[in-house]
Amino acid sequence: MIRINSVSFRYGESLRNAISDVSLTIDDGDFLGIIGASGAGKSTLVYSINGVIPHHFRGDFFGEVLVDGMDTVQTRPEELAKFVGSVHQDIDSQMVASVVEDEILFGLENFKTPHSEIELRIEEALAAAGISGLRDRDIGSLSGGQKQKVAIAAIIALRPKIILLDEPTGELDPQSSRKVFETLRELNERFGITVIVVEQKIMLLCEFSKHLAVMERGGMILNGLVHEVLQRADKLEEAGVNIPRVTTLARKLRERGLYSGAMPLDLDGARVMMREAMRDAAL
Amino acid sequence: MSGFLSYMNGDSILHRLNPLTKLLMSAALCASCFLTHRHSVVIGVIVFNLCMSYSAGGLKRSLAMSVSFIKLALLLFVLQVFFVREGNIILTLPLNIYITDKGALFSSLFSLRLVAATMPLAIMLSVTRMSDISNVLAQKLRIPYKYTFALTTAIRFIPIFSEEMAGIAEAQTARGVEFDTKNFFKKIRLLLPLCVPLLISSVRKIEGSAISAELRGFNLRTRECGYKTYRFGLRDAGALVLTAAIIAAAVLI
Repeated sequence: MIRINSVSFRYGESLRNAISDVSLTIDDGDFLGIIGASGAGKSTLVYSINGVIPHHFRGDFFGEVLVDGMDTVQTRPEELAKFVGSVHQDIDSQMVASVVEDEILFGLENFKTPHSEIELRIEEALAAAGISGLRDRDIGSLSGGQKQKVAIAAIIALRPKIILLDEPTGELDPQSSRKVFETLRELNERFGITVIVVEQKIMLLCEFSKHLAVMERGGMILNGLVHEVLQRADKLEEAGVNIPRVTTLARKLRERGLYSGAMPLDLDGARVMMREAMRDAAL
Repeated sequence: MSGFLSYMNGDSILHRLNPLTKLLMSAALCASCFLTHRHSVVIGVIVFNLCMSYSAGGLKRSLAMSVSFIKLALLLFVLQVFFVREGNIILTLPLNIYITDKGALFSSLFSLRLVAATMPLAIMLSVTRMSDISNVLAQKLRIPYKYTFALTTAIRFIPIFSEEMAGIAEAQTARGVEFDTKNFFKKIRLLLPLCVPLLISSVRKIEGSAISAELRGFNLRTRECGYKTYRFGLRDAGALVLTAAIIAAAVLI
């Protein structure tokens, strides 16, 4: 479980807080999507969870972040990393090796994984990320989507309880983005790994997340089940978040008294909603 | 030259050599170019480099790489040849500029050396995984892993920065800057201001890489952490004997 208690952080050279008084509890096995406009403090929040803040980026840190009971201020990032795996925005800078196999091996070696386990862990991680065929490939020759999967596989091999991803699909096409999210869902459902993903593509978050948190100017303005958050379309708009088309449609139907059911999250939900609305209209 | 340092997957003898043997071979080949004063030996080293590359399945890449080196070597030849005033004049140009036989010989040897000496390391790096280099240096030469990792990271970043520079140049070209000019000095003048965005983006990438390594236990690493072991075998002994023979030839011929 992750507990974030009234956390505020201001980067050393900055005049204003990057995040202010953020509180959040993330249960084990959750799939949390974090969304917000640029500069809303999403990445800062992620860095606060994996310990990069305050250990790497210096500044004024207030509040408390507890990851599996460990205080991130008291615990070194490399110790936290045994529980929290992180995939960052710039995938090229994340890579530390030239070959896929070595990229996965890097963390396993550092954490002194028993040598008898290493081969199995590599194979498992490659299979879980769906890239078994890329094991001996030069990382420079891979596509953005493949690199993203390599980064995820390198984290899976460490068997963390939590995976943090900061805009993992930022440079990917819609199809590759979807594949990355499908991989994350499988990790979440099959292995019970808690997934926390910062993302701008709200449709993907609505479809794959269990909970959604919305950030605006360093604060957390909404947090809850996805369909609950989507009910607050006005707040989402204020925060500069693109509202899914199905949500806009549902809002319009509601305003005209044609629909009163749950907020649809995807096209299937929209189909059910339309059927209901048409049936009510016919009555 | 894009991707000239990227790893080339394969199972050739060169691939299977101990990484330390490969580094020693490339250092020795490089040294042999400077130990000799004969063009024929330096050309021999270039041919040997190309043969090694062919055996590893990377001849095409090496030839492409050589073209880039040759361009640089030609530039150096031109710069050198006019400054050596000793020897018999073989070509006289206006403004008291002339080329001597000694100048031509010295400059051509210098240029050939540049090509021959830079090729071995580039070839060895293309058939060796960066992690193997950092591990073998830490395990066998007892160099702290932090330094060996920094070294291989610096090498690994060269093609990344090269691509980044190309991207920045493309963006500027789209805004009307004429990078395709044939005037070398004008091109340099146009490229210099791009170093600032490249520097900023490089610092950002290096910081990202440092965070990523830290979050995967880099600071917990000790020399004993390496999964792979790097033993010297008969193959390595053979390669080192061959290298010693090349050095001896460079000194004796």
